[in-house]
Amino acid sequence: MASQTQTVSAPDHDITFEKIQQLRELFADAPEVGRKALENVLGELKSQAGDTPPPPIESAGRVGARLGKRSELTIIVPLIPGGAKRLRTFLQLLGGNLSPGATKVGTLHDMRFVFLDNDTKLLFATSFDGDWDTYIDDFVALIPDYLDIIDSAWEGWPGIRSPEAKDYLVKHQITAEGWFVAHPDLTVAEIDRLKRIGKAVDEFLDKVQ
Amino acid sequence: MSSVNELAAASVALAITLDLNEIQATVLRPRPAPYFGTHALLRVDDAQAGRAFLRRLIPHVDSAAAWWTAKTPWLAVGISYAGLQSLGVPQDSLQSFPEAFREGMAARARKLGDVNLNDPKNWDQAYRKGQVHIGLSAFSDSEEDRRRIVGIAREQLQGFSGVSVLAMQDFGAQPGDRNSLGYKDGIDQPSIEGSGVDPLPGQGEPIKAGEFILGYPGESGFPLPMPQPDILGRNGTYVGFRKYQSRVGAFNRFLRAHGSTEAEQELLAAKLVGRWRSGAPLTLAPDIDDPALGADPQRNNDFNYSHDPRGRQAPFGCHIRRMNPRDTKLTRLTDVKLHRLIRRGTTYGPPYDPNAVSEADDEVPRGAYFLFISAKAMATIEFLQQEWINDGNFIGIGDERDPIIGLHDEAATFTIPKDPVRRLVRGIETFNVLRGGEYFFMPSLSALKWLGDLEN
Repeated sequence: MASQTQTVSAPDHDITFEKIQQLRELFADAPEVGRKALENVLGELKSQAGDTPPPPIESAGRVGARLGKRSELTIIVPLIPGGAKRLRTFLQLLGGNLSPGATKVGTLHDMRFVFLDNDTKLLFATSFDGDWDTYIDDFVALIPDYLDIIDSAWEGWPGIRSPEAKDYLVKHQITAEGWFVAHPDLTVAEIDRLKRIGKAVDEFLDKVQ
Repeated sequence: MSSVNELAAASVALAITLDLNEIQATVLRPRPAPYFGTHALLRVDDAQAGRAFLRRLIPHVDSAAAWWTAKTPWLAVGISYAGLQSLGVPQDSLQSFPEAFREGMAARARKLGDVNLNDPKNWDQAYRKGQVHIGLSAFSDSEEDRRRIVGIAREQLQGFSGVSVLAMQDFGAQPGDRNSLGYKDGIDQPSIEGSGVDPLPGQGEPIKAGEFILGYPGESGFPLPMPQPDILGRNGTYVGFRKYQSRVGAFNRFLRAHGSTEAEQELLAAKLVGRWRSGAPLTLAPDIDDPALGADPQRNNDFNYSHDPRGRQAPFGCHIRRMNPRDTKLTRLTDVKLHRLIRRGTTYGPPYDPNAVSEADDEVPRGAYFLFISAKAMATIEFLQQEWINDGNFIGIGDERDPIIGLHDEAATFTIPKDPVRRLVRGIETFNVLRGGEYFFMPSLSALKWLGDLEN
């Protein structure tokens, strides 16, 4: 949506100056190679100061970051005993990529499942279009089994139908400090549409030759 | 013949599982045809006076018992969060209401996309945050009965200095039961399981009552969270009340700019909505209007989009395909049964004038008050505003918005799929501007009594 893209005013020079000072102080006792690299990058950034600044990262509701039409969600949840093994085997059954369930959702750009600390914790990271809870009732209605297989491995999970589910996620969610998105204005549906248009244009060009 | 009678004629007695004596009539009873009525917005400054007023009003508030009969007139009452506070509802009970309801519609503007032209700072004075406490609506099938029931409501207000009227607005049927942009409206309503009436053709599978009325299982099999205590929440529901001003001049200028003959303009008007102004759906009457079809409740909603998967008849972005996509293939995993609302549209002001083309005509007070009713009205209205009204991504048309009730910027477009190539219409404006709104809780009759009998 056009109204969601915002332009930022030029960065406040005092704040930038302060941040650079702080960085130099933090790097003062860093290894020589890091100190040098910092100065090189600062020099490079200075020469790009006139360029248009990138769109700012916004908050995606209570936790998480949002960039244009995209949001990110990173959670680290404790697993119940045996949970990691069940989940890993299930993921392997699907070739590790959770298709077709995930494709059906239509808003997911990517998801990753990483087991930590001897299979006692799961790091789950995803990026998707819009707010995560907009379609939550639809997910529960239409792909409840996928959700339940995954989240039944989580320690203390109240269940996706519980009013406390949101609080659980918020409690375990960690907002990304840095996040790059090549096309923050493109949703999965838009990418699909552009691919279709590209193909149609090629077919058209072949025909007129 | 009123639509209520037609409904009764079409009905087959089904098992009634709802407590119709408790549910307010407006939740289930459609507006009569023709219809006459009045909305009143009240403010309660003294809890005792407010409760005494409620107690006097209750005998005149109708239940949904035999809602399919054309019994009129009737009164409906809704109470905002500020209203519940002003009536002295205990704190733990107040906290049991959903967050969006507690914040109120004006405070949820960002979530609702009510910005720019639709920003609450541009709303009528009465709707500024926390002002409206009680919403009272009278529905009738005659002007005479409307006056009588409004008189009765007024009598109950006599002698209370602690309850004041912020705004009053009469509404009523336009000639031919049209709305302020000249369309027959209010045709497609969700069918509710256990309400006692068979769905009309095309109304779709009945939806679980808990989606619309608190205390019954919803589509998930479980009831939605309900305000406490039980007597307050059960058989109640929520109403999203929104006042729109129709910019009739802008709408007519748009039609004239993009259609050189009256026939072209009417076809464009039909493409925007998905129905001809007569109510005939494009899916059943794609090329020329069929007024007899539009007027027939057995036929005018009896369709799906299985034969129009590319939007050649009803464009993907038209108003009715957005508000109820039926079997349209959507880009996102969606259960279309979860995003329906019971709609009570009430048109106010002078009838649609096809020759009104000036900017002054945009400011003539005419438009519609909508009551959007659901057990999760706040969440559903926010969903619709974000996803189905002010976006096109869900249906694969990028940033395009609802041409009738969307909020538009200057670059707005409307795509009409066509062979060999689509027609892209520019110059869409915000044809209906939001002028106010609030969330109301519509309590059961027992809950109204509970509220009236509160002590402190």
